[in-house]
Amino acid sequence: MLNNPILRVINLVAALLAAGAMLYVAFFGVSPLPALGPAFNPSTGAWTMAADAVGVGNQTLHLAGLQQQVRITIERDGTAHVVANTDHDLFLAVGYLHARFRLFQMDLLRRTGEGRLSEVVGKAALDNDRFELQLGLLRTAQLEWAQSSAVSKMALTAYSQGVNDRIDEAERLHQLPAMFTLLGYQPRPWTPIDTAIVKGDMTQTLNFTDTPLVMALLDKSLGADLTSKWFPVLPPNPQSPYDPGPYPSAAAPAPIAAMATLTDQQATSAAALYQRLASLPPGSIATGGASNNWAVATSKSASGGALLAGDPHLHLTLPAIWFQLTEDSPGYHTSGVSIPGTPVILIGHNEHIAWSLTDAQNQQTFFYNEKEDAAHPGQYFWQGGWHTYKTVSYDIPVLHGATEHLTVKLSAHGPVINERGLTTSVWWAGNLPSQDLDVVLRIGQASDFKAFRDALRDWYAPTHNFVYADDKGNIGLISAGYYPQVAKGQPWLPMPGTGEYDVTGTVPYANIPQIYDPPSSVVWSANQRQVGSDYPYYIGTASNFFDPGYRANEIHRVLSQDRQLTATDMMALQTDTRDFLASEITPLLVQALATDQLTGGEQQVREMLTNWDYTMAVDSAAASVWWTFWQDYLSQTFDPWWRAQGVKIDKQEVIDSLGQDLEAWTLGDPSNAAFTPPGGATQTATDAMRKAFHAAYSSLKADLGPDPGSWTWGTLHTRVLDNLAQISGLSYGPRAERGDANTPLAAGGSPSNHGPSWRMVVDWGTHTFSGIYPGGQSENPASSWYLDRVDTWWSGQYAPMLNASQAASSSGAATWKLQS
Amino acid sequence: MEAPIVMGGRWFGFVVVVAAAICCAGVIFGAWWVTFLAGVALGAVIPARLAMPAASLAGLLAWGVLLAWEQWRYGLGPAAHSLAAIMGFTQLGPVVPVVLTCLVGLLLGLTGAWAGAATRSVLFSGQSASSR
Repeated sequence: MLNNPILRVINLVAALLAAGAMLYVAFFGVSPLPALGPAFNPSTGAWTMAADAVGVGNQTLHLAGLQQQVRITIERDGTAHVVANTDHDLFLAVGYLHARFRLFQMDLLRRTGEGRLSEVVGKAALDNDRFELQLGLLRTAQLEWAQSSAVSKMALTAYSQGVNDRIDEAERLHQLPAMFTLLGYQPRPWTPIDTAIVKGDMTQTLNFTDTPLVMALLDKSLGADLTSKWFPVLPPNPQSPYDPGPYPSAAAPAPIAAMATLTDQQATSAAALYQRLASLPPGSIATGGASNNWAVATSKSASGGALLAGDPHLHLTLPAIWFQLTEDSPGYHTSGVSIPGTPVILIGHNEHIAWSLTDAQNQQTFFYNEKEDAAHPGQYFWQGGWHTYKTVSYDIPVLHGATEHLTVKLSAHGPVINERGLTTSVWWAGNLPSQDLDVVLRIGQASDFKAFRDALRDWYAPTHNFVYADDKGNIGLISAGYYPQVAKGQPWLPMPGTGEYDVTGTVPYANIPQIYDPPSSVVWSANQRQVGSDYPYYIGTASNFFDPGYRANEIHRVLSQDRQLTATDMMALQTDTRDFLASEITPLLVQALATDQLTGGEQQVREMLTNWDYTMAVDSAAASVWWTFWQDYLSQTFDPWWRAQGVKIDKQEVIDSLGQDLEAWTLGDPSNAAFTPPGGATQTATDAMRKAFHAAYSSLKADLGPDPGSWTWGTLHTRVLDNLAQISGLSYGPRAERGDANTPLAAGGSPSNHGPSWRMVVDWGTHTFSGIYPGGQSENPASSWYLDRVDTWWSGQYAPMLNASQAASSSGAATWKLQS
Repeated sequence: MEAPIVMGGRWFGFVVVVAAAICCAGVIFGAWWVTFLAGVALGAVIPARLAMPAASLAGLLAWGVLLAWEQWRYGLGPAAHSLAAIMGFTQLGPVVPVVLTCLVGLLLGLTGAWAGAATRSVLFSGQSASSR
């Protein structure tokens, strides 16, 4: 056909170009397409997610490393029940289970903490990798593994073996999760250090905070006087500490001093580091916790046994952070939820005790400005002498890029994380090697409060409020963790690194916040400051370390009612949407409007607020009015100050603190000078509330139409469950949602992506255990176990937490026999 | 004049089926690039005007049949939806990964055959044109 030789050559060149292009796309992919050949191979590529999605049946599986046969019962909803004849086999089987259903999630978690994301997603993740390697999760994990007890070593080794058994099996059978195929890499073997990294990820998310930098920038712009008044150490508003004292006296009093004024150099340095941390992905910095837990003793329980409820609030992701299972072996009989990547049940119950946790929020991050000078290159001045920074080097592989070499400097305080302006290092409790796995293993074996409390003695970070209830009717709460103390200085700001302001130790274990079988018969925590104003130790500033306290106040209000409580009451309280702040402020607003000039529509809205029960229900129009009013009230009061003082911090970042102030002033100091704008006419709380109400009415009318009855909260407020890999098409929602940031059913923001990640209610009187989390057991988006629990969770329903024998006889259960 | 056409059709069909079987075997064992090599082989040994459609059809058939097999065994709806979402084609729907999969098979065969035929055409340019 092509008789001309030149045409033949041209044809060959064209053919080779086309073939080359096709093979390139097939082997390597072109964004947004993955490597098409392996990814779309119908038999071994991403399509295998269809086979994985079918569910599980009765199987016999052969796993290397098992000592004896293990039985796993899988309920119809994927809840797993592991029954092993040795503790070693239990942890091996759990490793296999986690990897079977959550391998990509586990790999993502370890890569995030180890600074190895760039290797699979490219340079977009390089900043995050650099930061993680500087911060030091990997170094801490290596130390923790080296210092592990024999029991922990056994558990971690067995768990890793189970994960690796699954990786081998999945590779052999072409069953790796689709994301590996689509991203074009294979998981490397799991190690015990990876498990410590996953724990480190959680610690960072919950307790690594930039608050001292925020305080520094506020101090520089607002001035020391206003900053100390508006962002105090002790909360300005009424709160409900669970441990009201009396407290033991401290060896040295807490260093609560007036706010110092920052130099320009300190402020510039703080701003640079603040910007750097702000640019990191969500989850790198703790952004305020929100979790609830409480317990009710026998004397207040209708069933005659203690009640316990817990709902840790976290970023809600698909797959969820939790995997539900029971673990039975000679040494352990626990039921609850585990974090994939770790072998233990973190929240749950055993045969005698139940426990849950909330973040305790005390300050565990301290920044130090190191003293350097040109005459001492590579050194810093500390405790009267010049010291050379230690250094650690890392190579960061980058997909489609050159490997980056990173050198991390370490001072006596910790890693250097900023060298723009002043050199700043960070002391972070998450860098203290701690044997948290040992602690959780011992909790799993505890049968009374003494054993529970003894186990928690070695828990360092993140500090958690561990609630407790046992089968004998006892309850307790202990805020276990490391409470760093400094000899002097202002720990809520970056401090000089010369040695005088160093962390000297922690609050003695006997003196940390705790309570056992109180006369009130109830204990509760919701990230509020656990102790009253006369607690003799510094544990953090009022807000942005601690929660404003509205959820805690509401929980305390309900639990303190003079009646016997049931498990159903516990469930109702976990989904309670009564806004405590609204219940305080709305009557004052209605009163302020009574003598104001209102239009017909505004009169209607005032009536609506008068009759409102303060619940943030989806169909409540009053809820929309309240929330819009409160935002406008905050703006009315603080925006003029922000503008006048040139504050660079986004008001939303400190909105909890400002809200506490506004609440306290409205309730008890309505003539506070803050209500009068700088240079403006004198104004009171009443004036500001009226203006805010008119503004709220106007904006709602403009956005939602003239009929106030149609301004339902669900039209303004939604929730979304984010896909963990940030693939929006695999997320759930946005869907209209009840609650707000201040209600026990936490749903701050809109769309809210943070909230109750697991709800558990235990009734020791009836021996009933219930739980639910949003999402499902499988990370495979094609599986019915990806989303199957969402509707149950959304509607406030629960699933029974069965034990292994109950599960084996439940409808639709499958059984796996695991043998070597 | 009819006989050669009938024979050619059968021969063509036979070639397509054999090539598709080879492609299937490769794909099942993870060697997806066998589809390309099969195309190259076809291009090298039979005329380009037959090799290119035959290899295209073989690639399409192999990948399509295996996809249909997975659909019959497990149902591909949720997987197709998920893959479309992962690739950012949520709006276009699950048809995108299905079409892409079939297209990959087809194009691997086609480009392989074209490359094979063009190479042969240059290397053996002195031979009778009737063999091409």
